[in-house]
Amino acid sequence: MTGLLPRLHAVTDDRVVARGDLVERTAALAAAAGARLAVHVRTRALGGAALLDLARRVGAVLEPHGSWLVVNDRVEIARAARARAVQLGRGSLAVRDVRRIAPDLAAGRSVHDAAEAAAAAAEGADYLVAGPVLATASHPALPGAGPGLVRSVAGAAGGLPVIAIGGMTPETAAAVREAGAWGVAAVRALWDAPDPGAAARAFVASLPDGAGVAVTVNGEPRTVPEGTTLRGLLAQLALDPRAVVVEHNRRIVRRDALERAALAAGDAVELVHFVGGG
Amino acid sequence: MATAVTESVFQDTPLVVGGRTFHSRLLVGTGKYKDNATMVRALEASGAEVVTVAVRRISLDRSKEEGILYHLDPGRFFLLANTAGCYNAEDAIRYARLAREAGFNAFVKLEVIGDQKTLLPDVAGLLEATRTLVKEGFTVMAYTNDDLVTALRLEDAGCAAVMPLASPIGSGLGLLNPYTIRTIKSRLTVPVIVDAGVGTASDACVTMEQGVDGLLMNTALAEAGDPVLMAHAMRLATEAGRAAYLAGRMARREVAMPSSPAAGMLA
Repeated sequence: MTGLLPRLHAVTDDRVVARGDLVERTAALAAAAGARLAVHVRTRALGGAALLDLARRVGAVLEPHGSWLVVNDRVEIARAARARAVQLGRGSLAVRDVRRIAPDLAAGRSVHDAAEAAAAAAEGADYLVAGPVLATASHPALPGAGPGLVRSVAGAAGGLPVIAIGGMTPETAAAVREAGAWGVAAVRALWDAPDPGAAARAFVASLPDGAGVAVTVNGEPRTVPEGTTLRGLLAQLALDPRAVVVEHNRRIVRRDALERAALAAGDAVELVHFVGGG
Repeated sequence: MATAVTESVFQDTPLVVGGRTFHSRLLVGTGKYKDNATMVRALEASGAEVVTVAVRRISLDRSKEEGILYHLDPGRFFLLANTAGCYNAEDAIRYARLAREAGFNAFVKLEVIGDQKTLLPDVAGLLEATRTLVKEGFTVMAYTNDDLVTALRLEDAGCAAVMPLASPIGSGLGLLNPYTIRTIKSRLTVPVIVDAGVGTASDACVTMEQGVDGLLMNTALAEAGDPVLMAHAMRLATEAGRAAYLAGRMARREVAMPSSPAAGMLA
């Protein structure tokens, strides 16, 4: 199934990028988790050209498996590397400006509490990465807030999909799933694993499909994360809202109303455009 | 009416439909070309201002081709959306509304088909769809058969233009019944644009000679051996037919009349 937000996110950091075996490890993760995997290229150590080159090389090994490439913060790099999404944090561009640069990129927002989650939903983000849920070496100064963080973020986010980050392992994934997370993000548990493929498989097993909302898009059945809006659906499908007309249960939805229209079970969505004709 | 002629260009009034003015009387479809590059060059060669497009589901597979707007400049062409493939009024209305939402204009080339083999129109469906769409503010240009009464009903229902066929869609049979087309043109107030069935340049010329306001064609170009050259031929033919009509043809007669004088023959 193409286009669905992955449940397992492997996020890099400067250390992982510096190690030099990032592309090989990415290939192992992608072979194991396929379309359930998103890899976030995240580093402050590289200039634009080097970062773009890295993102493209990572994207090249992800593509055959249907895995998502996500670039952290740098929208222009995300766009040039044909990533599926850009991950925005504190100090990153507003979603509105991301849409101006790259309307068909999904925009993820990193949040730390319910207030940030509500702001992200209001600005039109497509999904959230929330944490740190548990204490993690990636953010030693922040105590983990526990799975309750996921519950309060999900509540404030108006149903946008929430990816939990911070001390996530296949064992801790179950608790956050119960708290309402769509999936989890990890750094060490994937990149430092002796066998990254096996680690990915273990995570995937702890994040079963099944939850989500069953809808029909262009006549085909799809499951989308709870709370996905029509805008979110277009982002997941990498469709530019300007290039498509949206019909939701036989009613046309105007472009500026896409962010307010949430999908419910059984909904039928038609996405149409102009083609050649006589 | 005397028409001014300057060199090889003649002055014609523009085509006005639903309050919009168009300077080419040749309208062209964008379907069935072997590739987009050929289509774009053929549209250029035709001199057309109005091009038709269809409304279809977007492919969700990223590897598929983009929509037609990647190849057509909406600033240069007037996009006339059609309701091709619709077999009842409800579907045609649905497609027209979707097309309008794309945000270019509120014109629609209304098609409600009654028979899959001949693609002849369903008149009852056409009239029903026309009434609803006119009420919603659409400018309706209705593809129809060459029956005068149908054409009059469509005009009464509020169509901005009536588009009778020359022959079935994609048939290339040319103008099968000049009498019915001339009759429709003589009785209607709104523009009459012949749509469907034109196959080659002479068909276009003969059709314009009937006095109609314009022509719409697609297959004649897309399936020509050289669509760009055929588009050029169609442009010339459309203008030739229009000029011949405006010039006023000579009368037909059943006996011969010599062109050279009778007097002054040698003894």
